[in-house]
Amino acid sequence: MPPVNVFDKPQPDSLILRSGPFNVAVDAEDQRFLDTLSYFYREAVSDTASTLIDYRIRIRRPFSHRRWIRPQTLLEVDGIQPFEPHPLENAFPMYEWGLNWCIATSAHRYMMLHAGTVAFGDEALILPGTPGSGKSTLSAALHLRGARLLSDEFGLMRPEKGDLLAMPRGIPLKNASIEAILEFDPAASLGPTYPKTRKGRVRHLRPDASSLAQQDRPARPRWLVFPKYQSDAQEELRPLDKGEAFRHMAFNCFNYKLLGEVAFRAVADMIGTVECFTFTFSRLDRATERLTELVRQ
Amino acid sequence: MNLLSKVLRDPQRIRDWGVQEWNHFLPLMRRARLLGRCLRLFEEHGLIVEVPQRIQDQMRGALAQTLYVQGQALRELRQVHKVLAREHIPVMALKGVAYLVAELPPSGWRNLADIDLMVPKKDVEQAEDALLSAGWQPSGDFDDYDRHYYREWMHEVPPLKHSMREIEVDLHHNLAPPVSRIRIEADALWETARSVTAVKGGELWVLAPTDLLLHNAVHLFMNDELRGGLRDVVDFCDLYRHFVAEQPGFDEQLLLRARELNCGRPLYYAAITGQRLAGLVLSDEFLRALRPYAPSFPLASLMHGLIERVLAPERLGMTSTAIANWLLFVRSHWVRMPFGMLIRHLSYKALVSKKPATLDADLPG
Repeated sequence: MPPVNVFDKPQPDSLILRSGPFNVAVDAEDQRFLDTLSYFYREAVSDTASTLIDYRIRIRRPFSHRRWIRPQTLLEVDGIQPFEPHPLENAFPMYEWGLNWCIATSAHRYMMLHAGTVAFGDEALILPGTPGSGKSTLSAALHLRGARLLSDEFGLMRPEKGDLLAMPRGIPLKNASIEAILEFDPAASLGPTYPKTRKGRVRHLRPDASSLAQQDRPARPRWLVFPKYQSDAQEELRPLDKGEAFRHMAFNCFNYKLLGEVAFRAVADMIGTVECFTFTFSRLDRATERLTELVRQ
Repeated sequence: MNLLSKVLRDPQRIRDWGVQEWNHFLPLMRRARLLGRCLRLFEEHGLIVEVPQRIQDQMRGALAQTLYVQGQALRELRQVHKVLAREHIPVMALKGVAYLVAELPPSGWRNLADIDLMVPKKDVEQAEDALLSAGWQPSGDFDDYDRHYYREWMHEVPPLKHSMREIEVDLHHNLAPPVSRIRIEADALWETARSVTAVKGGELWVLAPTDLLLHNAVHLFMNDELRGGLRDVVDFCDLYRHFVAEQPGFDEQLLLRARELNCGRPLYYAAITGQRLAGLVLSDEFLRALRPYAPSFPLASLMHGLIERVLAPERLGMTSTAIANWLLFVRSHWVRMPFGMLIRHLSYKALVSKKPATLDADLPG
């Protein structure tokens, strides 16, 4: 069938956000969405009109009867709608997923580690993990204790340099993690609650102004810690054999197979220079303390 | 004419570009799936230093993805070939995967989403059964109507996908649907096909050079909504330039073969569109020889206008594109189906329109 796009208006002036190495132009009219976007990223707004844009994301209402009854919102990239419409109130999580989709499907110039990454000065702690490992929550907690947020999800590595780029974004805390973070730090800056998304109840932690201001500052991998959340477990930080660490890391890289040899070399080089651990944890206060201790040694 | 088209015609123009032009250009290139081709184009013309690093990063990212998918396509082809060779069914690679195994120029940049293969019509059911029992499954949801449509009216069986792998296999038994008014007889294609050495154990076939071009033209202009888009036009241009440089007298062979296979009209559209939208250079003799295949004057200019608006829209998501698209969609079915069948098909599709599949499930975050 022909494309269903019937909107022919010239695009309104876009808001340009810097998201790590990417410049994103956002076209949207929904005021609530724009307010949320500004709450999270006001320090990352690019003030110049002469910015090269990587991704142009448009958030709009679909043109249907749903405009009035249970209104929806739609995300468009280069005139393509990669997802079905979401409920209007979920525009911000949809934007975040949409940008992740853009990056995951196109940014193969970088090696994309499925990992939370935080930095202490110019040294990075990498927390790879599959969903449920607690890497997002742990990254959030470390960030709240002063670590610079690089990313909670996408460790962007330049394979030729072996360094990690910062891409601080709102950290989507899911379900029980929301309360865990609030208990850990009642003053944490959280955005609105989205009670019903495809990933359950979601609330984002705002990256601090200093992380956003230092988006240009890469960090060298120094510690590689594979976290594992286990309720009621005692913290245990155990050195990990490098061969094993290599296998785990390769498995936790979105585009490892796609990049082939480039990724193999980059992971091998990184494993050669970092200290590798596994980390079982349950309580965030003790977990962050233990990791901070590691970093200070 | 859009900016992408202008660059394909004259890449040197990017020397004068600023941020605004690049910001306009990147989405066009991405939507047309031509990032890899443009990277090659700029490299060929020594222009890569003129391309901002950020845009280069996007192009290299796309090319890395393409090369990976090409590898997967080759692997899938070998698997399919192994199964069908056991059944003594000859296999012909078509389109993207054919350019790949025959090492033709588009293979340097061209992405693919599936592999298109042709088997003789008498073997198509046996081939489908063999693949189904070797682990391939129908890919996607097809209702009875869709299955009926594929089998009875089209030139392929519903797409198959191996349960352990990502890439789709489209199994054809002809190059144009048997019910369409433009027919290509598959037997004639098998007679001139060439074997390539990309697989072990048994032969793998690709179309003869002339037929590769004619298939591209038929596919582009006989298909719903010019689906392959500008990318297929660029394929045509790359192949045409390659064969013309390689084989003296190629133009004459191509015209002769077009007449034989009754594809003069699609060849005319493909060549002229390549010339207009991608800067393909055609000799005066070739253009003169194509003239008899052009439609009458008012239709020709209407079609060129429609084609341009669909393949090279000024901006993405323009209404005029949607309308032009719709007209071409109807026209392509008119070409493909007898009139009564067209009315039945369109009214069924209008009543049962499907939502696009959702992709969120696999997303990080």
